[in-house]
Amino acid sequence: MPHTITVPPEKAMLERDTRHSMRKKILKLVVYIFLTAYSIVNLFPILWMFMNSFKSDDAFSQSVLAWPKQWLFANYAEAWRVAKLGLYFSNSMIIGVLAVLFTVLLGAFASYFLARFRFKHQTKIYNYFVFGMLIPIHATLVPLFILENKLHMQNSYLSLIVPYIAFGLPITIFILVSFMKSFSKDIEESAIMDGCGPLRIFWSIILPMSMPSIATVVIINFINNWNEFSFALVLVSNPDLKTVPLGLSNFVGQYTTSYTTQMAGLTMALIPVIIVFLCLESYLVKGMTAGAVKG
Amino acid sequence: MKRAHTVISKAVSIMLVLILSIGLTACGSGSNSSNEPENKPSNGGTTTEAPAKNVELTFWNIWNGSDAYMGVLNDKVSEFQKENPNIKVKIEQMPHDQYKLKLKASAAGRQLPDMFVVWPGAELKPMVDGNTVLPIDDLAAEYKDKLIPSANLIDYQIDGKQYAIPNIVVYTHMIYYDKDILAQAGYSEFPKTYTEFKEMVVKVRELGVTPIALGNKGQWVLQSCYISTIGDRMTGSDFLVKAMSGEKKFTDPEFVGGLNVIKELTDLKAFNEDLNTIDNNQHLDYFVQGKAAMFVEGTWSLGGVQEKLPKDRNLGLAIFPAVEGGAGNPQALSGVTGQGVAINKDIDPAKLDAARQFIRFLSSEDTYNRLLAKDQLVPATVTVPSDASDTLKQLISLTSGGVAPVYDAVLTPQLTEIINNGLQSITMGTKSPEEVASELEAAKAK
Amino acid sequence: MHLLNRNKWLIWLGISPSLIVYTLFCMIPIGISFYYSFQNWDGFSDPSFIGLDNFAALMKDQVFWSSLKNNMFVLLASVLGQIPIALLFALLLNSKLRGAKFFRTVGFLPVAISTVIISLTWNMIYNTQYGLINTLLKAVGLDHLAHNWLGDPKWAMLAVCLTIIWQYVGLYLVIFLAALQNVPAETLEAAEIDGATGFVKTVKIIIPMIWGTILVSVILCISGSLKTFDLIYVMTNGGPAHTTDVMAIYMFNKTFSSFQYGYGSAISVAIFVVSLLLISVASRLLKAKED
Repeated sequence: MPHTITVPPEKAMLERDTRHSMRKKILKLVVYIFLTAYSIVNLFPILWMFMNSFKSDDAFSQSVLAWPKQWLFANYAEAWRVAKLGLYFSNSMIIGVLAVLFTVLLGAFASYFLARFRFKHQTKIYNYFVFGMLIPIHATLVPLFILENKLHMQNSYLSLIVPYIAFGLPITIFILVSFMKSFSKDIEESAIMDGCGPLRIFWSIILPMSMPSIATVVIINFINNWNEFSFALVLVSNPDLKTVPLGLSNFVGQYTTSYTTQMAGLTMALIPVIIVFLCLESYLVKGMTAGAVKG
Repeated sequence: MKRAHTVISKAVSIMLVLILSIGLTACGSGSNSSNEPENKPSNGGTTTEAPAKNVELTFWNIWNGSDAYMGVLNDKVSEFQKENPNIKVKIEQMPHDQYKLKLKASAAGRQLPDMFVVWPGAELKPMVDGNTVLPIDDLAAEYKDKLIPSANLIDYQIDGKQYAIPNIVVYTHMIYYDKDILAQAGYSEFPKTYTEFKEMVVKVRELGVTPIALGNKGQWVLQSCYISTIGDRMTGSDFLVKAMSGEKKFTDPEFVGGLNVIKELTDLKAFNEDLNTIDNNQHLDYFVQGKAAMFVEGTWSLGGVQEKLPKDRNLGLAIFPAVEGGAGNPQALSGVTGQGVAINKDIDPAKLDAARQFIRFLSSEDTYNRLLAKDQLVPATVTVPSDASDTLKQLISLTSGGVAPVYDAVLTPQLTEIINNGLQSITMGTKSPEEVASELEAAKAK
Repeated sequence: MHLLNRNKWLIWLGISPSLIVYTLFCMIPIGISFYYSFQNWDGFSDPSFIGLDNFAALMKDQVFWSSLKNNMFVLLASVLGQIPIALLFALLLNSKLRGAKFFRTVGFLPVAISTVIISLTWNMIYNTQYGLINTLLKAVGLDHLAHNWLGDPKWAMLAVCLTIIWQYVGLYLVIFLAALQNVPAETLEAAEIDGATGFVKTVKIIIPMIWGTILVSVILCISGSLKTFDLIYVMTNGGPAHTTDVMAIYMFNKTFSSFQYGYGSAISVAIFVVSLLLISVASRLLKAKED
């Protein structure tokens, strides 16, 4: 018996609509299940770290998965003391923020010219910058150390800020150039008609349009600098200038490691990175309408 | 002599520099002949031979952990500062692995601090060859066979010259076992021979308990804590030196026999399956959790086990039993002296006296007594106090059977790397003991 | 463009600060390091010039070749794993989905977590006796699929690669999210309205629009994979018995553990050359597709 053909037209529309919205709902559900699963995988290490940061080392030895029987907030005070986080947090902040600021400013400026202009040796210079991404940093530890000695840089924040800028520039320029190249050429042309100079075009047009990619490189550079260990270890000798990653290594002895206080320290060290990400996250996804209109 | 030296300290320090700079280091300058190293810290200030001018000494060490010896040595450093206001010791502390990286990078850049903690033997040799450390034979003469027996000084000697005074002794091998689990398996006492040991492993395995918890992710455990002692049972203590000089070969049956013990234990399923993916912290945890009947690590682990082991568990200490047919002393334990402080070869001559004074103060009888009080073994001949803890007494009796070399202190770093990886290969079954032995022999020849 | 000739000095003024800092503190040190590769140097004694001996030895060094092979695994896993997953999440999370901000932040988190924690937790997941994977497999009766993930030469590299994929998806997620801001909003909304088939269609439209960024990501993946160090160093330190050794770790251990500074420098030259080779091949292949 034919039971599908004789449906009135409106009803068919309705059915199709409900079917459509049903499908949409199912799809949405699938997406959410998928995203939730992904979130669990991503959050597990952090929650695990957070939970264990309240345990005693004994309790951690007994079981790494059990819920803490008593919550030792004292671990945080201990971690703060052992890792000298009071001092090192401000050092890391000063070094990290200044290095990121200069990396992105210098990098964005250089990228603007590399991406939007055409001049002699342009490709060579661009490639020269990109080479920097192919260098394993541990190979440069000793030469850099000797170089900084010769320049008498060791007893200042510059001993880390400058190498962080130098090693942050390649990836910064690489990413920014690729983004800045993708804007339409008409942008400058209309600006020039309006009488804008190249600097004005950079500040008021290209830079605002590049905000998503600027946010990207700020995040990448900040994380790299915040977690950087080898340069900080070798290039800094003055205990007053050390950074957070060095402090966090204080929990590791020759034969033993105090994991629970280390986790308390690591939890605290993670907070600034998350704050930076949250502050910049909106720039990442805020479609810069300026680009869309003029492009 | 001391007074005279104080008066003409400047002149002497200049003279000393002259003597040192022309390489005449073996004979003392005469300033130290009566300076007993066992000065009480209280006279440390009065016997000062430091220049009147303020000096600043930079000093790197690894004493920022929780090991008991670190506390004692740090206390001594701060006491030194208090008693010698004209000498400022500027300290930089780093954990062990980071320390070694920084030390090597700084040595390559010729920017070592005035004083730094060094490891004996194979790690010290390239630093000596590279002219980065200052010989301190005259200082050592003050200790030799007085406070420290000459045998305990040789670890820090390269080509007959002394480069540091050891502060502690560690034995890299000790078996920590659960008396109750062994009793369950039918053993009221720890096995006396290797054959009995293997039988015990099988019986413990039958109980459903891992016989030996092993965390060899860091690679040094099997080498430093196992094969250094087990190999010695087979080869005797002079083998490594002879093998390096070419008199013996790594492919000799006695050495292969030592490696074979690891293979046999692996085949008996003596270890946890994840032995190469967990570290030594975790093997201690497995033991603490009751998942394993024993674990093997150095004397440094004692404090941690005692602290973490629940009170209702009974901890036993033992050493690896005699191996039938082995050429070595069945009581010997692999051990090494350590935490000696070396002086930078390029030290500012004006600072040298202060540095020597610092080392004298740090490596003094008082320090060794305080270390003993913390159950730490020391290289010095100081009397064990009558009220010493049972732990210390037991440690001393277990470690008094003779000292065998620790492999990574004697072998070159390249050979250490090969044996470290080779031992892992043996436990994975990817290489046979013979293959590892011939790899070592081949690399030695280079 | 007509602006340019008038502004030559401005161009150089704009580029030179970066150029100077970068040359002085990045390229000169690496140049010196490359120079060490022609020397026999333990880092302490006086170096001696030995020409290409280090490279000749490197060519015969089996451990080097196996570490290069492992690098290739990391590279393949990164390019084929991180980029598609990140792209998928970027497309999903660029929409007005409820909770998108939360998921974006969580998606990014692994990039920010300390490698120590990543290593500890993933070691727990992979542990052969008590690990999550094996426990789950045994619970559903698939005992024969349980392996000693990090301890077995057959599986160790795979396990490490999986963790690396997980760790860096967030990085490319951020890059792709930024790139999607240049895609007109209407194109993206179409995906939401049309559901699954629409999604596939949109992807087909969007991918060419952000192809440049995909190329950038592939190159970042290649350079990142070939110098990958931190996670493997903490997680396995190249072990057991070199099974998970990669070139950067081998270089580090040779330089700072075995006192073979010159040889270590030769390995870093190799890393540089291999990266350059692969990147030029990849960009040629991918650029061809773009045209």
